Amino acid sequence: MTDLINLYLPIAGNSVNCLAILGLGGAVGLLSGIFGVGGGFLMTPLLIMMGIPPTVAAASDSNQIVGASTSGTLAHFRLGNVDFKMGLILLVGGIIGGNIGVHIIKVLRALGNADFLISITYVLMLGFVGGYMFLESLQAMRKAKAPVQEDTAPKKPSAYAKMIASLPLQMEFTRSGIRLSVFMPLVLGILVGVLAAIMGVGGGFIMVPIMVYLLRMPMHVVVGTSLFQILFTCVNVTIMQATQNHTVDFVLALLLLIGSSIGAQVGTKVGKKLGGEQLKILLASLVLFVMFKMLYDLLVRPDVLLAYMGGH
Amino acid sequence: MKKYIQIMPHLLLVALLCLGLLPGHAIAESSMNIATTPATINMGARYNGAKIEIKGSAPAGSAVIVRFVGEPSELHLRQKGKVFGLLWMNVGTIKLENVPKVCIIDTSVPFEKIGEAGAPYSLAGTVKEVEIEKDADTHGIDIANELLLLKKHGKLYSESEQGVIMGPEKDGLTDFSTQLNVPSSLAPGKYLIEAVAVKDGKVIADATDSITAEMVGFPAWLSHLAYQKSLLYGIMATVIALISGLVIGLVFGSKGGAH
Repeated sequence: MTDLINLYLPIAGNSVNCLAILGLGGAVGLLSGIFGVGGGFLMTPLLIMMGIPPTVAAASDSNQIVGASTSGTLAHFRLGNVDFKMGLILLVGGIIGGNIGVHIIKVLRALGNADFLISITYVLMLGFVGGYMFLESLQAMRKAKAPVQEDTAPKKPSAYAKMIASLPLQMEFTRSGIRLSVFMPLVLGILVGVLAAIMGVGGGFIMVPIMVYLLRMPMHVVVGTSLFQILFTCVNVTIMQATQNHTVDFVLALLLLIGSSIGAQVGTKVGKKLGGEQLKILLASLVLFVMFKMLYDLLVRPDVLLAYMGGH
Repeated sequence: MKKYIQIMPHLLLVALLCLGLLPGHAIAESSMNIATTPATINMGARYNGAKIEIKGSAPAGSAVIVRFVGEPSELHLRQKGKVFGLLWMNVGTIKLENVPKVCIIDTSVPFEKIGEAGAPYSLAGTVKEVEIEKDADTHGIDIANELLLLKKHGKLYSESEQGVIMGPEKDGLTDFSTQLNVPSSLAPGKYLIEAVAVKDGKVIADATDSITAEMVGFPAWLSHLAYQKSLLYGIMATVIALISGLVIGLVFGSKGGAH
């Protein structure tokens, strides 16, 4: 029976249990369906735990994301939830930032500080994003419970709103219903690109909070636009990894894609039953959980003090 | 020429064993033979590790050690250590030489009963032969022990005792047989099977055989494409994922998978 569900993956150089891979894809897809983020930074470590070499796990995950984000973008496009203008500017910024990040890593590797920077960036970013989202959602939920007070006085714009309104080259983003300087998405895209390159992830879990809190885009447009941007990033990564490192196992990617698609269907239904703030607080808890796991790994002595090259 | 370069290390390994330059030292007599089944490990789509059977005969009254060994090669590893006395992270890399990719061992009696003569053939003896690059900073890590743990974790090194079954004695020889489990993470290539007979604290005979692990069918085709036509492979992987995503999107008519 076990022979029937095992499949040998020539690029990963190992045999895997198909049901386990489908199940892993399903579990991560479930979270993705609920939150609209959460693939790369969960899938890759879990694949490594299942015996897939780190470099193959990361590259094949990118290949899987191409398929997942294609169907996601298509679905959101039908619903009118993709802001192509915003997505393209973020993508340009992401590509510029990605190249800057790769060079930063090269310099730091030469100096011997790269691994320290990667670990600390991971923990700080996850802690900051998760912590901020958690507290913000908690406050919003408390406010919702409190008796509604009619606020008749016009709201004063915040210092941040004044600052972004004063930037040059203001542009209308009709789909998102906002007006912003072109520099905002470009600079933030560069920032996410730098961080994604340093951390070795797609950057979705950093991009989504940035779109929500700094670009102030509506949540439904955020998910569709994030998927659109991620699709292009992962096409680029898949082809680069396949040609330069030979680390893309597309059979593994296909299995993960089938699993995650089914998981996402269930997740979407679960997500619809939850409110926006509940979704945010659950996502924040997930990000904080990953952050604490990483912090634990940094503080506790590993079982083996040697590791193959390629992983963090 | 390329094929010649590829098989050179194997020929050298067999030659060194014949000359007694590898663990085993001086061998008094060589009345030992082995045969391995199958002769080739076919790594097809359903490959999930393999069982190989080794049969042979050894001088009567001797203890037998059987090893499945990969070609020794260079290995670059990351070292983990404490930074600022608090955080465990990668602190450097180290280059090791003479590291067998795989080493699976079985014996007819426990190593402690075989004694000193058998020690070089154990896993502990194998990692002692590993050479650490000159002037390398080991960061206080017991490299041999940690390498052993790393390889055992990946199931590439294993040692079991008393799995070699000895038969009745006949004409001064004893038949023996054992089964070794080869892991699914085995890389394609040529591997050495060696059997050693130890008696009265000395290695008195040895025999070697070889076995080839090779990809066949779909994995062979895919691997060829990924390594020889990598751009085509990358585009194919992307297009298949895109089409699959579109089909999934059309079938389900809603969100796709994880991203």
